[in-house]
Amino acid sequence: MKISFVINNKKVSLDVEPSMRLLDVIRNELHLTGTKEGCGEGECGACTVLINEEPVNSCLYPAINAANKNIMTIEGFRETNEYRVIADAFADRGGSQCGFCTPGMILVTYSLLKKNPHPSEEEIRFALSGNLCRCTGYQAIVDAVKVAAVKGIKL
Amino acid sequence: MIQHFVPTTLKEALKILDERDCYIMAGGTDLMVQKHRGSGLLPNFDKDVLYVMNIKELDYIKTDAEGNLRIGAMNRYCELMNSSLVPDIFKTVFKEIASPNIRNMATLVGNIANASPAGDSLLPLNLFNARVVLSSVKGNREVLVEDFIQGVRKIDRQKNELITEVIIPNCDLNFYYRKVGSRKAESITKVSLMGGYKIEGGKIKDLRIVFGSISVKVVRNHFIEEKYQGKSVNELRARIDDIINEYDHEIKPITDQRSTMEYRKKVAKNLLRDFLKHVK
Ligand SMILES: Cc1cc2nc3c(=O)[nH]c(=O)nc-3n(C[C@@H](O)[C@@H](O)[C@H](O)COP(=O)(O)OP(=O)(O)OC[C@H]3O[C@@H](n4cnc5c(N)ncnc54)[C@H](O)[C@@H]3O)c2cc1C
Ligand code: FES
Ligand code: FES
Repeated sequence: MKISFVINNKKVSLDVEPSMRLLDVIRNELHLTGTKEGCGEGECGACTVLINEEPVNSCLYPAINAANKNIMTIEGFRETNEYRVIADAFADRGGSQCGFCTPGMILVTYSLLKKNPHPSEEEIRFALSGNLCRCTGYQAIVDAVKVAAVKGIKL
Repeated sequence: MIQHFVPTTLKEALKILDERDCYIMAGGTDLMVQKHRGSGLLPNFDKDVLYVMNIKELDYIKTDAEGNLRIGAMNRYCELMNSSLVPDIFKTVFKEIASPNIRNMATLVGNIANASPAGDSLLPLNLFNARVVLSSVKGNREVLVEDFIQGVRKIDRQKNELITEVIIPNCDLNFYYRKVGSRKAESITKVSLMGGYKIEGGKIKDLRIVFGSISVKVVRNHFIEEKYQGKSVNELRARIDDIINEYDHEIKPITDQRSTMEYRKKVAKNLLRDFLKHVK
């Protein structure tokens, strides 16, 4: 079935099965491998992408549900000023070690700060609660989000 | 070969369901896990699939003339949490379901149709006497959520029916809710309890108690609830041990990978005691 959407500001039309996981569309059809696969069951958030600015787990997202929507992966987000602020904050605070969770963490951070530019620690932890990290112990990530909030994301 | 149907109108969807037996896909957060085969592989569907998230008619959160809240089959937790029409106690429950990412995908109707004993939205839906509307080419029928769910993944739905909406009557009670899981986010419920009560002139006007994850479906015993209506708060408090005993035969949890039968039973009773102490 033909499915059209906008991904990273580009219009795309693909002939794929409607039930294909959006994650496989992104990684295997579009070769955007910044989006990761951890659990494949909705629990880790490594596969997070933004759809109409909301983070979702692409491993459970049927491709057809993305039709005519606006998808942003880490590759597209990298081109923005907001990305620079958040990525610098993660580097500054040691919020990324192996990096596997980082694309998801960064996209969730962006969607949080866009809605709530000055989140409390509790709000940060709540927003990141679906994104698991095996390396940092989370505190460094929470600190990075706070730094990014202070530097401000000009939106 | 299986076929995929992406109707954009309800009429079209009901016609398809009348002609063939389909899986119904909403947000996919249950179905995509259940049919998952592995990285790079298509989900394992052995019959046709009908997708509901393009039927714009089923996208609404509104109140009707009688003051009932009506929620369409497309509406996701994230939308319900942001709506001023949705009672706070529902939002409290939704906040503890899965994770923010999942709540941006998952629908309330999907949680009902999935009929898991651990489905968290089923507690407030039961307590509020909520109903689902099932539509087919023949027309609509309404069923109480309490009766709609018959057991683990067993629901009162014919193959040609689609759940189109949930109706939640207005309900002015004091609420109590506890969900016990392994951690704060993304934890499937081990035991949960929701209580609701209303007191007028020192007497119990309304008392409702529902348990999650302690039986094949949400447990609610109308007989016990009614027995205590009209009694004084003091009498209720004096009879807490009796009430816990009355629920004993209803609390039939299982042992699984998440918890043991003994633990669940004990926690369920402790939650009931805690709730009853809150009634004042
Ligand atoms: C990591 C993770 C954590 C979770 N944590 C929790 C939790 O804490 N508490 C909890 O209660 N749930 C939890 N869930 C499950 C929860 O996300 C789902 O139950 C969700 O609400 C289902 O909605 P959906 O739109 O994704 O449904 P789908 O997966 O699309 O469908 C679910 C079922 O409902 C049927 N269905 C959907 N729409 C209709 C319709 N209109 N008519 C008839 N049948 C229909 C489908 O055929 C399917 O059987 C979790 C899931 C994951 C992946
Ligand atoms: S890979 Fe999607 S949530 Fe883990
Ligand atoms: S940095 Fe390794 S998983 Fe988070």
